[in-house]
Amino acid sequence: MSRLQADHLYKVFGRRPDEAVRRLADGAEREELRAEGTTAAVVDAGFVVEPGQIFVVMGLSGSGKSTLLRMLNGLLEPTAGRVLYDGHDLTALSPRELREVRATKISMVFQHFALFPHRNVLENAAYGLEVQGVPRAERETRAAEALELCGLAGWEKSWPDELSGGMQQRVGLARALATDADLLLMDESFSALDPLIRRDMQDQLLVLQQRLKKTIVFITHDLNEAMRLGDRIAVMRDGRIVQLGTAEDILVRPADDYVASFIQDVDRSRVLTAAAVMTDAAPVDCPDDCACRPVGPDTLVADLCAAAALAPHPVTVEDAEGSVLGVVPTERLLAVMGGVAATTAPFPEPREVTARA
Amino acid sequence: MPRLPLGQWVDSSVDWLQAQFSWLFDAVTTGVTGLYDGIDAVLSAPQPLLFAGVLAVVAWWLRGLAAGVLAFAGFALVDSVQLWDEAMATLSLVLVATLVTLVIAVPLGIWAARSKNVSTVLRPVLDFMQTMPAMVYLIPGIIFFGVGVVPGIIATIVFALPPGVRMTELGIRQVDGELVEAAEAFGTTPRNTLLRVQLPLALPTIMAGVNQVIMLGLSMVVIAGMVGGGGLGGAVYRAIGNVDIGLGFEAGVSIVVLAMYLDRMTGALGSQVSPLGRRAVAKARAALGAKRPGAKLWAHRPQPVTALVGVVVLALAAGGTGFLGGSGGQASASGPNGGHGKKVSIGYIPWDEGIASTYLWKELLERRGYEVETKQLEAGALYTGLAGGQVDLQTDAWLPVTHAQYWKKYQNELEDLGSWYGPTSLELSVPSYVKGVDSLADLKGKAGRFKGRIVGIEPSAGMMGLLKDKVLKDYGLEGEYKVVDGSTPGMLAELKRAYDRKEPVVVTLWSPHWAYSAHDLKKLKDPKGSWGKGDGVHTLARKGFAAENPEVGTWLKNFSLTEKQLTGLEAVIQETGKGKEQQAVRTWLDRNPGLAEKLAPQ
Repeated sequence: MSRLQADHLYKVFGRRPDEAVRRLADGAEREELRAEGTTAAVVDAGFVVEPGQIFVVMGLSGSGKSTLLRMLNGLLEPTAGRVLYDGHDLTALSPRELREVRATKISMVFQHFALFPHRNVLENAAYGLEVQGVPRAERETRAAEALELCGLAGWEKSWPDELSGGMQQRVGLARALATDADLLLMDESFSALDPLIRRDMQDQLLVLQQRLKKTIVFITHDLNEAMRLGDRIAVMRDGRIVQLGTAEDILVRPADDYVASFIQDVDRSRVLTAAAVMTDAAPVDCPDDCACRPVGPDTLVADLCAAAALAPHPVTVEDAEGSVLGVVPTERLLAVMGGVAATTAPFPEPREVTARA
Repeated sequence: MPRLPLGQWVDSSVDWLQAQFSWLFDAVTTGVTGLYDGIDAVLSAPQPLLFAGVLAVVAWWLRGLAAGVLAFAGFALVDSVQLWDEAMATLSLVLVATLVTLVIAVPLGIWAARSKNVSTVLRPVLDFMQTMPAMVYLIPGIIFFGVGVVPGIIATIVFALPPGVRMTELGIRQVDGELVEAAEAFGTTPRNTLLRVQLPLALPTIMAGVNQVIMLGLSMVVIAGMVGGGGLGGAVYRAIGNVDIGLGFEAGVSIVVLAMYLDRMTGALGSQVSPLGRRAVAKARAALGAKRPGAKLWAHRPQPVTALVGVVVLALAAGGTGFLGGSGGQASASGPNGGHGKKVSIGYIPWDEGIASTYLWKELLERRGYEVETKQLEAGALYTGLAGGQVDLQTDAWLPVTHAQYWKKYQNELEDLGSWYGPTSLELSVPSYVKGVDSLADLKGKAGRFKGRIVGIEPSAGMMGLLKDKVLKDYGLEGEYKVVDGSTPGMLAELKRAYDRKEPVVVTLWSPHWAYSAHDLKKLKDPKGSWGKGDGVHTLARKGFAAENPEVGTWLKNFSLTEKQLTGLEAVIQETGKGKEQQAVRTWLDRNPGLAEKLAPQ
């Protein structure tokens, strides 16, 4: 069963929202509603997130991604549609039940950290447990564990304003992890950080994720970040999800010009994998003293370049058992890096593989 | 444009409210009075200097050694100008008003912060409360709550409430929306979001509001003094009434000492009670210490425990001596026989003959075993209080002319116990150095000398109407002179100013008045008798007082003083000094043996 499912979600601000939803469902444009003073923030959003997945929602500001996220934990009530968590409809819950869900099953990490300035680091991390009514000793132990997990051991007694931005966000992450909620909602959580720190946090999140296997919905306006983190990515524009797929899907087959214009700046070499660019051609038999080395299907194109430089022939792609999956000719690599691959080179149908750093 | 009878509506709704909700007003009065009496009893019980010490230790703890030393110096000053009791009464009034204000303002502010509608409705109401002149609702306040501290406190609350509400609302609205969202995202209930996130973070702003409330409360004490609030406000009001610049300044400075103490302490408390504030203070202190090590001594603050011990020890010492001192002081008050401790409340306007006769009767009645309470009031407040029964009697009613409008309004609730002094006279007066002007008729054609002005008093006073409508007309002075409306203190100050510079001036005055002994003045003769025959100074009691207290009723009905006796008594009071009126009365009675027996025969 999917962990989280959004089912035809709509959020309309302004007068007569129900009528607006009906018109939008019939194909009305957002612009004509705005002229009447009604804002459709999210229009007919639907997706499924499996347990253990990182699902990224990507879009520019005003595209409705933050509104969408807040409907997932009921901070905003959808105008229409349903949110299913483990098959239970969250939109049907009473405020009290919804609070219970937020306290135990879904936690959230914020863009500007949202640490409580009147609580020290430990008290901040323990906040969710305090809300649940966990006794002090236990919640402090669990909060300290979460802080240690996020690399903040020894900072328990510090105050939020004494920490750097990256450290503050780790407190935010620890606070979200301390409750043992399975679903993490991350709202542009790394956007306020310096590029270097941001990258560092992305890596840490991925390391943590390998250990904890949480289900994460991550909001960002940065496509590179989306590609690095996302198992699946939803691209939003003007309240609608315009494309839904893996990083490779989006890079290789952008749904429209809007998405295509987005991916121009993406560092392909760090997104695409050997599996995505290889051809079905048979591997070349090379002499024993050949410097070439086979690569795994998850190898990034950036690393593939190094392998290609050493091999005087197409690089062989093998799986863990050593059976050959395909080869990557050097011209292919150059075409991919040059961005011409999407339109000219014949690509194989996408396989169910994921892009990961 | 048709005349909208807004005033009439208000009049009748005040009457209706009084009739329908007197039980509620009585309950409020009882509650607030009880609170005030309790706090005042605690504050004024200890030895002044010991209590000043307690306040100084608190200042030391909250702000540092320098603040403690200054606080002690300030309160010692208040004690040395003999305004300690007044200061404590004022402090109690401000504390009660602040307490009640906060109990109302903080929840209202919270409500307004959470609901846009409430905020929208509240705003004009708060504007109304803050800008409506206090005197406008003070008189209805007296009708509802009676004279004394309660209307003063109510007026203070009305005036001080808006900043309390606004700052609370602002403080909560200022809390970062993401923090509130974070609290909600972790499943916090709305109530806990308020208690654990919004209020703690809004606390510095709310404390700034508390500070504002206290400051505005202090600024209202003078107005409260006019309706029987007593305290420093009463002292200021009395000083203004008698153009006693010295006393006015002393009382004013005492208010300033209180204000600065409360301001600095609530400011410091604001940074002590919130974790955020404590952190800011700790940081600032560390920075200061690093820069100027010498500043550390003056900024030194004891540990809370040390401060607490200091306060408790001093408070115990203060309480002990206060208790002993209090029991010692009781003896002189209770005299033999007669009244059996029956309570009598006398109200007075701070005019010389009012003070003299009031304290004379306070002394006489206490000698006969009554328990007498005196209240200093503004004239309108005094009559309202008398009619409402909160005051039993007053000895300074100028009838039938000067207080005509009050008598007309309240005569059904009052009984006249007769005149004890008279006749009084109303007149225009000039300094005796103004030559060639001896009678009203002489004013004609001399407007240039007096800048065409007659310096008057409150436009509501009976004599002002008489002057404008009759006297000027009779002597053909209409058009030549302009009667300047103002106030009695204003008139007296103008008289003093002109007198000191030997400038010609003509003022409205009446006899008896202390101005005649302070300055060398000339009463302008009134050959046409336009001012009328003059008033008698009457004793008025609330309806039914004489029937309930036949003995006192008889004494008061037979009460009379000669001019020599009255001026003699007033002179002794003047010599003895403010705050010791009753002692002066004793001195005077000793000099006039047998008079007490005559006035109040056993």
